[in-house]
Amino acid sequence: MLARIAENVVEAKDVGMGGLRIAAWVVATANAVFLAMGLADMDRTLGSLPWALVPFVALSLLTPSVVGLLIANRQPRNRIAWILLLGPLAMTVQVPLALALGKGWALQMDRASWPLLYAWPIAIAFVFPTGRLLSRRWRWVAGAAIVSFVGFTTLAMLDPDPFSGDDASVPNPFADNAVAGWLEDTHLWWIWAILWAGMLASLFAGATAMILRLRRSTGVERLQVMWVAWSAVLIPVALVLCGLSAWAIGTAVIDWIVFPLILLFQMAVAASVGMAVLRYRLYAIERIVNRTLVYASVTALLLAVYGAITIGLGVLVGGDSSWVVALATLVVAVAFRPARSRIQDVVDRRFRKARYAGVRLVHAFEDDVRDGRRAPEEIGAVLGEALGDPLAELWFWLPETEAYADMRGQVGQPPVDARARREIRRDDAPTALLLHDPVLLERLDFLDGVLAAAALSIEMARLRVEVRIQLAEVAASRTRIVEAGYEERRRLERDLHDGAQQRLVSLGVQLRRVQMTLPREAQILSASLDQIVDEVGAAIGDLRQIAAGVRPARLDDGLAAALRDLARTSPVPVEVVAPRDRVAASVEAAAYFVACEAVTNAVKHASPSKVAVRAFRENGTLRVSVDDDGVGGAVVRRGSGLAGLRDRVAAHGGTLTIESPRGGGTHLEAEIPCV
Amino acid sequence: MRVVIAEDTVLLREGLAGLLEDAGHTVQARVGDGEALLAVVAEHEPDLAIVDVRMPPTYEDEGMRAAVEIRRLHPETGVLVLSQHVEGRFAVELVSSDGGFGYLLKDRVLDVGEFLDAAERISRGGTALDPEVVKQLLAQPAADDPLAELTPREREVLALVAEGRTNASIAKELWLTEKTVETHVRSILGKLDLPQDGDTHRRVLAVVTYLRASAA
Repeated sequence: MLARIAENVVEAKDVGMGGLRIAAWVVATANAVFLAMGLADMDRTLGSLPWALVPFVALSLLTPSVVGLLIANRQPRNRIAWILLLGPLAMTVQVPLALALGKGWALQMDRASWPLLYAWPIAIAFVFPTGRLLSRRWRWVAGAAIVSFVGFTTLAMLDPDPFSGDDASVPNPFADNAVAGWLEDTHLWWIWAILWAGMLASLFAGATAMILRLRRSTGVERLQVMWVAWSAVLIPVALVLCGLSAWAIGTAVIDWIVFPLILLFQMAVAASVGMAVLRYRLYAIERIVNRTLVYASVTALLLAVYGAITIGLGVLVGGDSSWVVALATLVVAVAFRPARSRIQDVVDRRFRKARYAGVRLVHAFEDDVRDGRRAPEEIGAVLGEALGDPLAELWFWLPETEAYADMRGQVGQPPVDARARREIRRDDAPTALLLHDPVLLERLDFLDGVLAAAALSIEMARLRVEVRIQLAEVAASRTRIVEAGYEERRRLERDLHDGAQQRLVSLGVQLRRVQMTLPREAQILSASLDQIVDEVGAAIGDLRQIAAGVRPARLDDGLAAALRDLARTSPVPVEVVAPRDRVAASVEAAAYFVACEAVTNAVKHASPSKVAVRAFRENGTLRVSVDDDGVGGAVVRRGSGLAGLRDRVAAHGGTLTIESPRGGGTHLEAEIPCV
Repeated sequence: MRVVIAEDTVLLREGLAGLLEDAGHTVQARVGDGEALLAVVAEHEPDLAIVDVRMPPTYEDEGMRAAVEIRRLHPETGVLVLSQHVEGRFAVELVSSDGGFGYLLKDRVLDVGEFLDAAERISRGGTALDPEVVKQLLAQPAADDPLAELTPREREVLALVAEGRTNASIAKELWLTEKTVETHVRSILGKLDLPQDGDTHRRVLAVVTYLRASAA
């Protein structure tokens, strides 16, 4: 881990900071050297310390110093770094002092300096993470804390009492000092109690400062405070658990556990400060706090259960009994898993309120989708709501075209802006891209939780959007095919007119010239030539008819003109009402063929006395209706002309409806979009 | 009669030229597109330009546009537009707006006599409207239309008037005397509330304008 942190070390650009950096190295080195000196000569320095605690003490003094050095290397002016560097030095500097001044000084310092062990964590609590106090008023609090710590330590150093136990023979260098005597005489010695209370109060003040910062801060700063607060809270939590275990299991080694624990947690605080300042795995804190809460609660609960069973049954049955212990162990073992999951749930609800609420919102949405109250595509908006991010935007991934589309199926490029981009995957394949407020990156746990809950909905919405896009493409290609058909008809019509028909006219003209230049003796052929030219003329007429059936050239003049031509050629009176203004040629052609087929059908099958063709534009659609007063009873059969019409209209995205009651005429209406 | 021909199909162009020359007319130029047509009309100022509707480069309505342009720049030159099928509105508008203009389907050429008649009529400032177009204009009049009051014979006469024929030509076509035709025409103009006018051209214009308005 330290290596990873070291990787993040960035050379400070300001040359003036080099001095500070060197100073940091000096302090850290001195701290280590003093500590080593102390360990090398424990008799003369740390005599009263039990050997088992030595590694804890050593680590608790080295860790803050190392962390402080790491921070100072990157940010030499960071006050937190200097608190971490100087805090342990206040302890270790006593080693050379003790070696120089003798056993008596060593014992006196040992007796008096314990508050310094707590001074630096409280200092950090006051100024973390900005290096400044919360406000001007906090100066008074900080001042009071400094007075308490310095005053108490000073008073303790002046303590004239002789040493006790093994060291009773060592003379106190401060015995009979004048200041102590004066304090005794003036009865001011009791001031130590006020100073002691001041130290205790500053501990609470530090906790208050942390809570206030936690409440007021947002984003990265909040996470930083959380890291440190978490490690600080571990101390009382650990103490409570120790107490519980002592009560439940009855171990009498509290002293041996509590003190090392406190030392360990000092290391934890220092390490947390390092993590927070250097922003290493900053975002993991929410999960860590969550897990800590869960496992601490589970442990407390199970200890309580274990204690209750052993003590309760012990009283009932009387005395210690191995089967009581076995039973209690069994109960605890069985209760572990359900207790853990229940407590996890409670903690989730309490602690990760946002995540819990977000996940619930997603689940509620899924229920709505299942019951048909909402469309799956709304998942994007639901995510925005669940994440509390109104700017959140979801883009669905289309693997076939390797493009993104929004919830309406519009293919496009997700905008590149200040929002963070998060690729959502399912079964190792991308499903969507979420653009969201970067603040959420500091709450990855929350974000991940909500996204995990929404994964299925997102995939479902993605599939729907994909299908919708594919359907639109199919519809578009059908329209293209139909339009190509119209174009083909148009080309065919042209070819008939300009090709075959033109040739026939030329042929006829040539025949006429031959006829005119016939010599007198061949005039007998003239009548035959007349006949032949008449035949040619008839062929031209036929061709013109065929071409008109393929596509009436009058469509070039618009739907109204073409419909009027249709009416003229009909054996039944046809009334035509049509707009003069033009719409897309393919739409006009579709409308014309609908009318043409409907009129032909009516004349052929319904024997009407009159037919009415009406076309009008309305809200971007062209409506064509054909009404007759014939026998009715028309039905759309597969492969029939009406079915063909329906397909033709559908190809333009339109609809065709037919009402044809038996004996009540036929009303056929097509709506074709024409924007 | 001095004529220029604009037709992109060489075979037909030469055939037309041959017909005209056989009848004693002078073909001054034969071209294949609208631009060349305008150039030769400006050069020769002919009595008549015979113009195919569809010509290069787009094969849409080059001939029609060139026709409008010729009528605008060279009012002395009559224009006969030939088409493979009825284009409709545009042609009727041109015919009714001015004399010296004709619109015929190409196969009318096969009836050489009538074709030459029409050509000469147009070159003299008259009009010619294809019977097919006239048929469309006359088809199915609304109940309140005065056209509905015409007798079948009068309708026949009206159609021929609209085609641009003279009384003599109409009389010949219908096997009537010119006097009878005149009577019919007077009756028709009266029923349609059109001014009695001796001038054939103006009469045609009035009739076509009327038909156009009632067919719209």
